[in-house]
Amino acid sequence: MTSFIRRQSWVSGLFALLVVLFILTRIIQPGYGSGDFGSLARAALPYAFAVAAQTVVVIAGGIDLSVASLMALTSVIAASMMNSASEEYALFVVPFVLAVGFLVGALNGLLIVVTRVPDIVVTLATLFILQGAALMVLEAPGGAAAEWLKASIVGTVAIPGIPESVTAWIPKALVVLLVCLGLVWIPLKRSALGLSIYAIGSSELAAFRSGVSVARTRIAAYAIGGLFGAMGGLSLTMSTGIGAPIPGPYLLASVAAVVLGGVTLGGGKGGLVGPIVAVFILRLMRTDLTLLAIDPNVTSIVEGTVMVAVVMLGAFLAMRERRP
Amino acid sequence: MRIVKSLGWLSLLAGTALMASAVGSMAKDSYTIGISNTVQGNGWREEMVCAMKAEALASGKVTKLNIAHRNTDAAGQLEDIRNLISAGVDAIVVNPSDPSGVNAALKEATDKGIVVVAVDQGVTEPSAYVISNNQEEYGYLGAKWLFTQMGGKGDVVYMRGAAGASADSDRDKGFKKALAEFPDVKVVHEVYTGWQQDQAKQQILDFIATGTPFNGIWTSGIDNVIVDALQESQTPLVPVVGADNAGFVGQLSSVEGLQGAAVTNPGSIGGAGVTLALQILDGKKPADQTVLVEPQIWDNTTDEGKAKLKAAADPSLNPEWPVSISIPDWTTYTKEQIVACKGPAD
Repeated sequence: MTSFIRRQSWVSGLFALLVVLFILTRIIQPGYGSGDFGSLARAALPYAFAVAAQTVVVIAGGIDLSVASLMALTSVIAASMMNSASEEYALFVVPFVLAVGFLVGALNGLLIVVTRVPDIVVTLATLFILQGAALMVLEAPGGAAAEWLKASIVGTVAIPGIPESVTAWIPKALVVLLVCLGLVWIPLKRSALGLSIYAIGSSELAAFRSGVSVARTRIAAYAIGGLFGAMGGLSLTMSTGIGAPIPGPYLLASVAAVVLGGVTLGGGKGGLVGPIVAVFILRLMRTDLTLLAIDPNVTSIVEGTVMVAVVMLGAFLAMRERRP
Repeated sequence: MRIVKSLGWLSLLAGTALMASAVGSMAKDSYTIGISNTVQGNGWREEMVCAMKAEALASGKVTKLNIAHRNTDAAGQLEDIRNLISAGVDAIVVNPSDPSGVNAALKEATDKGIVVVAVDQGVTEPSAYVISNNQEEYGYLGAKWLFTQMGGKGDVVYMRGAAGASADSDRDKGFKKALAEFPDVKVVHEVYTGWQQDQAKQQILDFIATGTPFNGIWTSGIDNVIVDALQESQTPLVPVVGADNAGFVGQLSSVEGLQGAAVTNPGSIGGAGVTLALQILDGKKPADQTVLVEPQIWDNTTDEGKAKLKAAADPSLNPEWPVSISIPDWTTYTKEQIVACKGPAD
């Protein structure tokens, strides 16, 4: 157990920080309860998927600047397809949109592998391409979402045999998030592909010499990133009931949560749990700043400062540990 | 003796009860109000937020403002509104980023008994109140003046606001209504400025560079940079329609040969939103869910218009701030208060 905690020290530290923030929130606003936690989970949803998309790519040693644009594109595709369509039609829309995300991600990877142009340049180009494509699908925010999709992230999960006072703290949005991420991430992490993704991020040459197909792994990493991005786009449509063609603030937020979540930007190190906890920390921090009625212009300064401070503290602690 | 003692206790009890009830009635005069806005760094929106702060302070009924003010999308505004619900505010005044995209959170607020007032543009959530400038009339008044000024024919550059915002689509209805009355006027170029100064200037410079002739420019309130662009590129001045922003109002009097009109669109509508929210909290509900403030047009081609422009001009204001810093019957703060931009707790 202690060795487990030591191995996961960064993630444990983040969890502790999250708990401290929750206690702080309760002190600031004694009425902060399960309903508010549900709001937090819903607010975290698009950010969490964006950061999951970024995490996979960063672990593989890349970076995906197109993630917010992909979310906008998949969101408008979903919203325009579901516009005045039947509830059942959404059953087709969801897998279709996920496939679009997967393919766009794969295309990103393919372009990087084939052209040998750096990741940052290729995904910067696709950022603009996808943004334009999103505006072609919907010129202005609009469209609709199926009622059952919208309802799937509202309210709490009722589990027979467990008292309501407990289930009130299990918002559907959190369950949807954990199930969607878990279904992709857990099998991936245990597969040979998952190992290869870590390997090429750690050292491309060493991975290649060990017989890992670097090109195929890179394409797969971007494709899985695209799949998570599409989930993020869907979550936007599910929470707002519309699709908006102009990308939201998810690109920089995803990079911020990846860093705060303990994933090395150079690749090869980190997991998904850290960045997801980091998303909740960042969202809860904004809640606290709103609850405290802090000048909104100061809010983003505080957010940035706390982030740098946490990452610096982490690096400092890691340095001390390495010393004999 | 015993009786006296217990009488003493009684009077003490009565006293506390009286004090408690006094506190209870005082609580009605100390509301907390939440504010949600999703465009930061735009002069009009900054004035709106300052008007909200100033009105909250001037009303004397607001003890605390929780302000969520950042650049974000509808999903981000949902988060902000829910945070305001968590903060336990009595009313939320919101400039909605989308007419339907934030309905879910607005409904959650009104279900909890929180008064919701949307300012500047409407929302489709029926439990929310709306106080807004009449945006359709705004579009119509300016466009009609412009097309008349162009002699009823020619090519017009149509510089809209932000795609999908309901203020933009309402103004578009008014613009199209005027366009239908002037069949010989054609829209030669239509573009969304996103209500961003730098973007709009770039867009008009790009268009001028194409060499396409045009006879008039309608802007959705990003106006002074357009006049700047015409002057800088030494393009012949054409009639320009803008809003009552301080910079543009100044240009209408100072720029040689410029024909133009300012349509009023007070950012102080934010203060009016706070007033409406306080009225509803005090039990005075408006007859309609939607309250509209009618715009005026001030042009520099008639003496009447010139006089109004002169009276309204205020060089001491930020050029991007609308000069109509107050709305009669709706706002009570002084100019010093809105310029200071301080709320009750600042």
